[in-house]
Amino acid sequence: MFKELDPILHSQLRLAVMSLLISVKEADFIFIREKTNATAGNLSVQIQKLKDAGYIEVIKEFKENYPNTTCRITKPGIKAFEEYVKALQEYLKVNIKK
Amino acid sequence: MEEKETLSNEESLALITEMISRAKSDYVETGISALLWGTITTFCAVLTFANYWWQQNWINYIWFLSLFAVIPQILISIRESKIRKLKAYSDDAIGGVWISFGICIFLLSFWLSVAPNPGWGNTNSLYLILYGIPTFTSGYARRFKPMIFGGIACWIFSIASIYMLYPYSMLLLAAGAQLAWFIPGLILRKKYLTAKQQNV
Repeated sequence: MFKELDPILHSQLRLAVMSLLISVKEADFIFIREKTNATAGNLSVQIQKLKDAGYIEVIKEFKENYPNTTCRITKPGIKAFEEYVKALQEYLKVNIKK
Repeated sequence: MEEKETLSNEESLALITEMISRAKSDYVETGISALLWGTITTFCAVLTFANYWWQQNWINYIWFLSLFAVIPQILISIRESKIRKLKAYSDDAIGGVWISFGICIFLLSFWLSVAPNPGWGNTNSLYLILYGIPTFTSGYARRFKPMIFGGIACWIFSIASIYMLYPYSMLLLAAGAQLAWFIPGLILRKKYLTAKQQNV
């Protein structure tokens, strides 16, 4: 029986954001936007969804008089990501056997 | 990147791999701090070397330049932290190593300038400086306060032991070992056993 893929993570932009954040301790909004080539509006929406799911932490502060948003993956986020990758590997294993 | 709700498994895995490698490739250091310290240390060392023949008294104080270089270093660090777009997991560990190094250079210079004569008491001071390095660095990297305090305690004891005669300086060595390793070790052991019990 296959485990269902997490719908929060199984979307292109949200998965891209999580993959970036899993490899660093924290990253700011501009960095994520540059790396994902997403629009600011779309990225904000997807980041909010990840935040609502408890997968990432969003810190808003001022840096040299400009607003700055920093994102950091949470422990539940790391766990969800690991389970997502594990589930993907299970699916791929079966595909290779076929 | 357009939002695509239906991803195939292969596409998901490829996306994860690509994003992880993109994050890694973006991590760069400006190198300004390394250039600053490389220049100052080389300058001071070469001048001290030349002074072996020149015999200029003022050159003996040239190493004080490195103290003044701390000010631009602080400004560089603040500026770099402001422009930095990401923080890697290794940053804390590397930061801990450099803080330890800075403190040890200061302590060693202090030891060289005030240690009255070499002997057991003073040697213990050097051992305590060494005890502090891995303890503080490990605590700083893992954000484990008992080890951070243990490392700092070793460095404080290293100054105190300069003024203490053998065998009394051995008591500071024992106190350093207690604060740096034994007490943090007890805390870690307790945490480990609790976690082990929960997983059974």
